[in-house]
Amino acid sequence: MTQTPPRARVAIVEDDAILREDLARVVTQAEGLEVAGAAETLAGGRALLTPGLDVLLIDLALPDGNGVDLIREARERIANIKIIVVSIFGDARSVVRAIEAGADGYLLKGAGEQQAEEAIRTVLGGGAPISPAVASHILNRMRERATSTRDAAPDAPLTEKETAVLIDLAKGFRYKEVARLHGISPHTVADHVKSIYRKLAVNSRSEAVFEAVQAGLIKLKD
Amino acid sequence: MLKSEPLGAPTKGAWIIAATIVALQLALSVGLFWANSIAEEARGRHVVDVGAAEASSQSYFQLPDAAFRPVRLPREGCCSSDNLIFRTHLTAEDAALTNPSVLIVSAYDNALIYVDGELAAGFGRTSGPPPNMGRRPQLLRLPHNMVHEGAVVDVAVQRIIGFGHLQPFYIGEYDALYPSFRALGFLRHDLPLFNAAIGAFVAAFCFCAAPLFGARGLMLSLATLGASWVLQHIGLYQTDPLWGAVANNGVYFLGFLGACICLPWFFIEWTSVFSRARPKRTAWLAVALDPWDATARRRLAIASLATLAIGAALISWRLSFNPAVASQDINRVIGWIGLLAMAFCLVRIVAFYLRPGSRDPIAASAFVFVILAAIADISMVRFFKTYGVFLGAAVTFFPLALLLSLAFRARGIFEAATATAEKLNVLVTDREREILRSHEEIRRNERAAMLLEERSRIMRDMHDGIGGQLLGLILQARSRKLSDQSLVSGLEQSLDDLRLVVDSLEQGEGSLTGALGAFRGRIEPRCEAAGVELDWQIEDVGTTPNIGPDKTLQIYRILLEACTNALKHGAPKRIGVLLKRDGDRIEIALTDDGAGFAPGAVQPGRGLANIRTRAQRIGAHLEIDSGAAGTGILLALGA
Repeated sequence: MTQTPPRARVAIVEDDAILREDLARVVTQAEGLEVAGAAETLAGGRALLTPGLDVLLIDLALPDGNGVDLIREARERIANIKIIVVSIFGDARSVVRAIEAGADGYLLKGAGEQQAEEAIRTVLGGGAPISPAVASHILNRMRERATSTRDAAPDAPLTEKETAVLIDLAKGFRYKEVARLHGISPHTVADHVKSIYRKLAVNSRSEAVFEAVQAGLIKLKD
Repeated sequence: MLKSEPLGAPTKGAWIIAATIVALQLALSVGLFWANSIAEEARGRHVVDVGAAEASSQSYFQLPDAAFRPVRLPREGCCSSDNLIFRTHLTAEDAALTNPSVLIVSAYDNALIYVDGELAAGFGRTSGPPPNMGRRPQLLRLPHNMVHEGAVVDVAVQRIIGFGHLQPFYIGEYDALYPSFRALGFLRHDLPLFNAAIGAFVAAFCFCAAPLFGARGLMLSLATLGASWVLQHIGLYQTDPLWGAVANNGVYFLGFLGACICLPWFFIEWTSVFSRARPKRTAWLAVALDPWDATARRRLAIASLATLAIGAALISWRLSFNPAVASQDINRVIGWIGLLAMAFCLVRIVAFYLRPGSRDPIAASAFVFVILAAIADISMVRFFKTYGVFLGAAVTFFPLALLLSLAFRARGIFEAATATAEKLNVLVTDREREILRSHEEIRRNERAAMLLEERSRIMRDMHDGIGGQLLGLILQARSRKLSDQSLVSGLEQSLDDLRLVVDSLEQGEGSLTGALGAFRGRIEPRCEAAGVELDWQIEDVGTTPNIGPDKTLQIYRILLEACTNALKHGAPKRIGVLLKRDGDRIEIALTDDGAGFAPGAVQPGRGLANIRTRAQRIGAHLEIDSGAAGTGILLALGA
């Protein structure tokens, strides 16, 4: 970080003009970040998906559709892109849906400049921000899947360590506290969380395939 | 299984079967009757007029001609003694025969033939107690050297079966007499044995099946009827049985009496089991014609068996002295009882078949015939002193018709049962659908009620939280008392409350552990900004079903209020949050090390009042402790 790396290019997709401008201001003022473009619709956001893009800040409730679709598209089209969901409530349901689509973290709308910048940097630095509510929600989802009779076990089940970390995160403990509780470094905790996010995305994709096969939308070769 | 189901109109098939059975019975009867009469007309000299003498001893002595009175066979009003001798003389034609033989047509008695006082032919003892010859006709050769014109032929008979008078016999060529002998053997012996076997089968089947069917009385009466029939034949067909001819007579009479009693019993059962109740009428008419109820039939069964037992005792007593005469008497009495019983049966069964819903041509075809045959046979023996053949024909078809009739009824019952089952199925399916529908309705209503409740709760929450806050801000802004700083913090508070509402909804019925975790996500940034360290001591308290979204929200608000108070007034370095479970009790504590306040003295401010009200609302126990060392709030409530 001490060297001067090229500035990270950030695209903003947010339909509310004030919030969009606020986010743009935060990015512009932050060192090492620059605004690659801003859009207020899904279609506009799609146009911003260029190969050089580093970060996508995206709202889920867009006038012409759900931001989740754009997250999926961005994840497919641009390698190594970091995607951050911008949410007014940061409610677990929508955040987890975004993570399943491929998002790396979330940012509360109206958060202070410092917090917003920190969230972006964390994600850029390979971190994975998680709120206790989101952790709790993910735990519930994993448990539901494990007990569901239809699908014996998720393709990518959580390891014991990951589950333990997730349980403590759901209790409200922060990375540092969790790290201390488990005798590992905060970095490892972040790695666990990223792994959990990836598994969530994988499981959600295979679940989607499974559901599509069930519904007759996809035909597997027999 | 067997019960009164009204029969529909007889099917064409039933009529055809019934007609076939009637035709077969008639054909067999006519055939047997014809064969019987033909057989008795053997090709030889028919000896009808003879001399008869009653011997005083069980051994044969040649009596002088003067001792014989002329009689005509079969002889009326016979006899006071067991030992009888019938005398005839050989004619010139008899003497000229190549193989002179005697055909004894009547079959019960041993007939010993003496020529000129010398024993010439015959079966059985020459002296001692009278044997029973098992209903076989006898064809006996006379030795050539004894045969001459005018020879005295004595047929010595040790009579025991009183009604079986010696029939006219034949003297003729052996080969000429043989066909008649063979035919008589078949008619009198072989065919009845076959019928006895049928009776035995029916008896065994019904005894075994009685517990399985509904109509036990019916099956039992039929079983006893079959057994009586078999008993009669045992009495008739035993050749010189070990228990003696007299006891054997008793067996026969018991069987005869049994048949006479069981046939009405059976018909009363049959015409009652398969009938439906009828309006009451005069007692004697009802007894004769109407169905008997279950109690009456049970009494009938007991009475029938009792009558048999009494009959057996009377028969043994009467046979114990002068058995030859006693046999005639007993036979006559039972014969009359039988005729009366058959008349009763005939009336009853005809009345039954005339009733609508009872018309069963298959059963009728055999039942009416069996009664008629019984009447005919008793009459033939009684009044014509010949052998009955019709019961033999009837018995051959009686069980067949019975089985067919029961099968038809069973089929009817099964069809009715199937139809009923189908109807029930349809009914059950309908009800199931109805229940499902009402279940769905209930669930929809419940859901609607739940949604309504939830909606009104959220409204209440909004009103309680964000509504009031926004209104306050508006009023302050109007009176121009609102600084930019307070506007931002007020709006932030409103958003925080809104987020808590969302969080409380998300936590749903889960665990308070997760709920408090989510809460930390909300207050952490503020604590961080104020440089306050959060000491987070959260224990996993498991599921807390008693703490729903509404209670969770109140807990959030209490904690937020307490937190805000601490940050605003106490300037703490550390805020501790603790969650633990003690049995069914959940304890939440929030402590700070800021400047406290005296709970009683200084006015605690709106914040504390709010906390108290909210704690009260969710039924939680609340303790507030404040002093120089800081403030502590303890909240306890059921999991």
